[in-house]
Amino acid sequence: MKLCRRKFLRAAGVTLALPWLDALSPGRTLAAAAKPPRRMVCICTPLGLHPPHFFPEKAGRNYPLSPYLEVLKDFRDEFTVLSGLSHPDVDQGHDSGYTFLTAAPHPENRGGFRNSISLDQFAAERVGLETRFSSLTLGDEGFGLSWTRSGAPVPADFSPSHVFARLFLEGRPEEVQAQTRRLRDGQSILDAVGDQAKKMQSGLGANDRDKLDEYFTSVRDLEQRLARAEEWSKKPKPKVDAKQPQDIPNSADLVGRTRLLFDLAHLALQTDSTRLITIFLLGTSQVPPIPGVSLGHHDLSHHGQDPKKIEQLKKVELEAVKVLHDLLAKLKQTKEEGASLLERTMVLFGSNLGNANNHSCKNLPILLAGGGFKHGQHLAFDPKNAPPLCNLYVNMLQRLGIEADKFGSSTGTLTGLEGAG
Amino acid sequence: MRAPKVLLGCAFALVAWPVSGQESGRQADPAFLENKIRPVLVAHCYGCHSGGAKEPKGDFRADRLSGDFADEANRGRWLAVLKRVKAGEMPPKSKPRPPEGEVRLLSDWIGGRVEAAEAARRAQGRVALRRLNRVEYENSVRDLLGVDVDLKKLLPADSAANGFDNAAEALHVSSFLMERYLEAADAALGVAIANGPRPKSVKKRHTFQDDRQIKMSEERVYRRLDDAVVTFSSSPWTAVTLWQFYPSDRGNYRFRISASGFQSAGKPVVFRVDTVPGGYDTKSRLINYFDAPADKPTVVEFVEGLEARCTIRLLPYALAGSQAVHKVGADDWKGAGLAVQWVEVEGPLNDAWPPASHRRLFGELPQEPVPGNRERLEVVSKEPLADAERILRDFARRAFRREVTDDDLKPFVALVKAKLADKYSFERAVRVGLLGVLVSPDFLFLREKPGKLDDFALASRLSYFLWCTMPDEELLTLASRRKLAEPDTLRRQVERMLKDPRAAAFTDNFVGQWLGLRDIDFTEPSNILYPEFDDMLKVSMVKEPLLFFDEVLKNDLSLTNFVASDFSMLNGRLAKHYGIAGVDGWAFRKVPLPPESHRGGVLTMAGVLKVTANGTSTSPVVRGAWVQDRILGTPPPRPPAGVPAVEPDIRGATTIREQLAKHRQIASCAACHAKIDPPGFALESFDVIGGWRDNYRSTGNGEEVKVDGRRMPYLKGRKVDPADVLADGQKFRNIDELKQLLLKDKDRIALALAEKMLTYATGRAPEAADKPEVEAIVRKVRDKNYGLRALVQEIVQSKPFQNK
Repeated sequence: MKLCRRKFLRAAGVTLALPWLDALSPGRTLAAAAKPPRRMVCICTPLGLHPPHFFPEKAGRNYPLSPYLEVLKDFRDEFTVLSGLSHPDVDQGHDSGYTFLTAAPHPENRGGFRNSISLDQFAAERVGLETRFSSLTLGDEGFGLSWTRSGAPVPADFSPSHVFARLFLEGRPEEVQAQTRRLRDGQSILDAVGDQAKKMQSGLGANDRDKLDEYFTSVRDLEQRLARAEEWSKKPKPKVDAKQPQDIPNSADLVGRTRLLFDLAHLALQTDSTRLITIFLLGTSQVPPIPGVSLGHHDLSHHGQDPKKIEQLKKVELEAVKVLHDLLAKLKQTKEEGASLLERTMVLFGSNLGNANNHSCKNLPILLAGGGFKHGQHLAFDPKNAPPLCNLYVNMLQRLGIEADKFGSSTGTLTGLEGAG
Repeated sequence: MRAPKVLLGCAFALVAWPVSGQESGRQADPAFLENKIRPVLVAHCYGCHSGGAKEPKGDFRADRLSGDFADEANRGRWLAVLKRVKAGEMPPKSKPRPPEGEVRLLSDWIGGRVEAAEAARRAQGRVALRRLNRVEYENSVRDLLGVDVDLKKLLPADSAANGFDNAAEALHVSSFLMERYLEAADAALGVAIANGPRPKSVKKRHTFQDDRQIKMSEERVYRRLDDAVVTFSSSPWTAVTLWQFYPSDRGNYRFRISASGFQSAGKPVVFRVDTVPGGYDTKSRLINYFDAPADKPTVVEFVEGLEARCTIRLLPYALAGSQAVHKVGADDWKGAGLAVQWVEVEGPLNDAWPPASHRRLFGELPQEPVPGNRERLEVVSKEPLADAERILRDFARRAFRREVTDDDLKPFVALVKAKLADKYSFERAVRVGLLGVLVSPDFLFLREKPGKLDDFALASRLSYFLWCTMPDEELLTLASRRKLAEPDTLRRQVERMLKDPRAAAFTDNFVGQWLGLRDIDFTEPSNILYPEFDDMLKVSMVKEPLLFFDEVLKNDLSLTNFVASDFSMLNGRLAKHYGIAGVDGWAFRKVPLPPESHRGGVLTMAGVLKVTANGTSTSPVVRGAWVQDRILGTPPPRPPAGVPAVEPDIRGATTIREQLAKHRQIASCAACHAKIDPPGFALESFDVIGGWRDNYRSTGNGEEVKVDGRRMPYLKGRKVDPADVLADGQKFRNIDELKQLLLKDKDRIALALAEKMLTYATGRAPEAADKPEVEAIVRKVRDKNYGLRALVQEIVQSKPFQNK
C-alpha cells in the first residue's frame, strides 16, 4: 500500500518535499543557511481601529505619534504606519473580514461570491516546506483569515493549549506510537479515497467536476502533508521553557485571549516551528472585562460619535495595542544568529474596516512592523487615489524571498517602502 | 469552458426566447458583444459607470461586464442592467434616452444570453455536487453509528450563500477540512466501539442539607428545611452545584430534580440548569430552564450527555441578588425562593454491553483481551477477510445512502487487507476501512446525476431537507423498490417525516437561518438602555418563532400567519415583555393575542426585532431591508460604496427619520429607499430587544423614567413616528396597518417563502429560469388556503426538487 502511494504521488507529478532531517529545530535548514529565514505574522482586528486615534496627523518621518501609536513608541523606528490603503473591489460591511488577506472582490454571503487564496497560504505553498508546520491559522472565535487556492476556508485553531501541545509536547510513548499509526493510516485511507474520487470524475458536469477536483486536490495535499508530518514525527519536538497555556473560557476576554495567541505565535517563530502565522481577533459582542468599559466592543465600534462611547472604545483598542506592543517586545528580545527575531519577522497589524462606525472599507488602518524594512515613517496615501493594499502584500511576499510580482488586486509594489538591505 | 460551450449550442433550440437560432448563434460570438453591444454601453452608460468616469456611480462598472454568462455574478449584473433599462430608470431622466432599437437590441441580447446560460446549467443540473455541512455531517454520523458525539466543534463553520449554510456552491473542501474529517471520524468510531468493560452505572439520590457548599457558604442565602434546601439568590456564584456527583465516565445520564417554589405567592419559580465543566469540557452550557410550581414538590426529568468529571448546577431565575438576601439572612427573608428536595442521577445509561453502536458494526463477533494489555478488549474474528467485507458492505450501504456494488467496496476491502497484512489486529484493520468510508466522497457528498433524481438521491434530498440527516431504512427500502418517487408515496413519507422528532432539525436550521435567529448573539443590548434584558428573555425570544413555525406547520395553518396572527407561542418572560397578562413560568403555550398587543406574525417577535437591531439603536433601513428580503422575497441591492451609513444619534438630538429624510430627496437613493424604509419605520415602534415603545430611550436628553417606582438608568427620548407610505402610495399609521397592507398580496408572501424553502431544500437558490416552477408551487398552495404543510408537500412534488 505504501509503495503504491509513493508511486501514485510520483505519477501525479508531485515531488515530495521532505524536511532536512540532519539540521532541524530550533535551527535552520542547511540550504537556507546562506539566507536568513524570513517570517510573517498577519493580524486582523475586524472591528476596526478608531481612525483619529490610530492615524498620525502628519506624514513622513518624525511624525507626531497618534494616541494608539504612542503605546508603541519604543518601536517607532521599527514600524511603518500606512494610511489611505484599501482593497479596490471590497465593499462596506463585516463580510470584508473574509478578504482582508485575499482581496477577492465583493465578499458577501450571497450566491456567486468565491474567495481566493490568502497571502499566508500563497506564501506557504512556496516557502512553507522548511518548517514542521507550513503555516498556523489562529483565532479566538468563529473563523480565521486564511483561505486556500480554491477559496475554501482554512479552519482556524482557537485553542492555544491544543496548539501548544501540537507544537511542543511529545506525549507518552504509546501516544506517539498511536499518532504515527494515525498518520500512516491516514495516508493509506486518502490514497484509497483519492482513487475513488478519480473514478467518479468521468461523466460529471462542469460544476460537479469542479467540486470533485477540489476534493481530489485536498486529498492529495493532505496526503503529502501527512507524509511530511510522519517524517517530522521521528524528530523530537523543540523544547520551550514556557508552560502549556490554559485556554480562557470567557469569550468576552478578547485581550486575554489575544495575549495567549501572541505568546504562542512568538514561541512558534522562535522555535522555527512555522514561519507564517495569521491571527483573526473576532471577539464577541459581550462586555469585555476592562475597567471603565460597560458596553460590548461591537456596539462601541458603532459609537455614533457619542463621546462617552468613543472614550470606552479607546480603552478597548488601547488594550489591544498594548498586547501588540508586548509581542513586538518579545520578538525584539529574541535573538537568532545575532539578529533580533523582529528584524526577520514582518508583523502586519490592521483591520478590514476603515471606519467601523459606518462599515466603510476604505482607508484601512495598517501597520507593518519588523521584517527588515526601513521603518519609522507614516506612509500616507490619498484614500481617493491610493494603490491597492495588495501592493504592500507584494512587498511582503518578496521580502519572504518569493519571486512574485503580483498578488490579488496588486498593480506593483508600494512606493516608499524599502528593504533595509 | 469545455462542456458549456457545446451545451450552449444545443440549448438554444430549446428555449423560447424571441430570437431565431441563427440570430442567437451570432449573439454568442464574442465579437457580437464588442461590435454591437459594447458601443451602446459606451454611448449611454460609460459616462457615469466606467473606469473613465471620475467616480463610477453606484459602484457599478459597465466596462467590467464580460461575455461570460456562466459566471453567475456577471450574469446578475447584466440582468440588473436589463431591469433598470427596461424600467426606464437608466439612463436617468436627466440624460437622453437611447433609441428604441438599441434598447431592444440590448434587452434581446441580454435575455438570450441569460436564457442560454441557464439552459446550459439545467442540462448539467441546478445543484452542484453538495458536501454535507457540519450539522448534516454530525447528524449523519450520529444516525450511521448510533452515537451522540459533539463533532461540530471539531469542524470549522461552513460558509453560506443566499442565506443558508447548505448551499452547494459555498461548501468547499480543503486539505485542512479533510484532516478534520479524519479526526472527527476517528473520534466518533472511538465512542461507537467499546474497548473496555461495561462502565458501572449508578443510580443515586442526592440531597443538599449536608452539602459542603450550602453549609460552608459565607453568604446567608440558603435555608435548610427538613426535606429541602431553599436558595433565595439569583446571583450566578450562588448556584446550587451538585458537587456530590462526579462521574468518571462520559455518557448519557438521567437527571430527576424535585423542586418547588417557596414563598412564591402561588406562582412558579423558574430555574435554569447548566453543566459545570470539568475534564475535557471547558465551557459551561445551558441545559434548559424549568418550572418549579409553588409549594408542590414536582419532579423534572431529562437525559443529558456529559463528559467525565462534569456535573450540573441549579440557579433560580429573577429572585433577589445575594447581597440583598445576605443582609437580612435567609432564615428571615420573606421573598420567593427555590426549594430543592433532591436530585437523582442515573448513568451512564447503556441498554446493553457492548452498546448498540458497537453491535451495529460488529454484530455478535466476540471480544477478547488484547495480548499485553489485559484492560483493552478488541473484537476478534476467525475469518477476518470475510467478516471485514460483510461489515464494510453493510456500513457502506448505509453511509452511501444507496445500494453498493463490489466495485464500490473494493478500495475499502483492499485497505483492510493491506492493514491485516501489516499485522494489524482485526478490529484495528476494520476500523481503518470504516474510517475510509467516512471520509470518502460518497459519504461526504450528496451525489446526484443530471436530470430526474433516482430514488436513492431523492431519498437523500428528502431526508436532508426535513431531517438534516441521512435517510432511514424505510426511505432506503422504498428507494430500493423504486417506489419512493410515486407522488402518493412521497406525500405519505413527508407526513411521516414531519411527525418524526428528527423534523425538529428542519425547524431549527431552516427557521434559524430564514429569520436570522442564529445571529442572536451578534450584539449585546446596552445594559444602560435595556436593563431588563436577561438570558431567559434571550433564550425565550429565539424559541418563540421556532415553536410558532412548528405550530403553523403541525396544523397546516396559512403561511400568512407569519405576517399577522391572532396567537403566538409564549412563556411568562415573553408575555411580560409583550405586556400580556396571565402567563407565568418558563413553559411555552399557545396564547391568544389581544388586538392592542400589536403582536402576531414573525415581524413583531422579539427575536426578529433583536437580530435586526444592534445593542443600542434600531435602523429602519436594516429592518426594512430584512422585511424586503425575508418576507417579501425581494432583497434590495447592496448600498453603493462610498455612501456612508446613517449614524443613529442616541443622545436624542435628532430622530432617525429626520436623518433618513435626505434619502428621499436624492433621486438615486429614493429609487431603493422608497421600498426599503417604510416597513422599517413601522417597526420603529419596537426597541432593540423587541419591546413596544412610544418614545425612544436616550442617554442624553429627556425626562426621567420610573418602572415599578425605580428610576431607570435611561431617559425618555423623542416620540416614535411609525407612520409612512409604501412605494405604491398606500399609507399606514402603524405596524398593525402595515401588516394588513402586506396581507393584501398573499401570493407574494407565499412566493417569497417558497423561494427560501426551495433554496434550503435543494441547496441552491432558484433562478429566473425556475420562476414558472416556483409560481406553480404557489398556485397549488393558494388552493390549499396557503397551508404551510401544503407548501412543504408541493415543494417536494415540484420539478426543481425532484431534479438535480
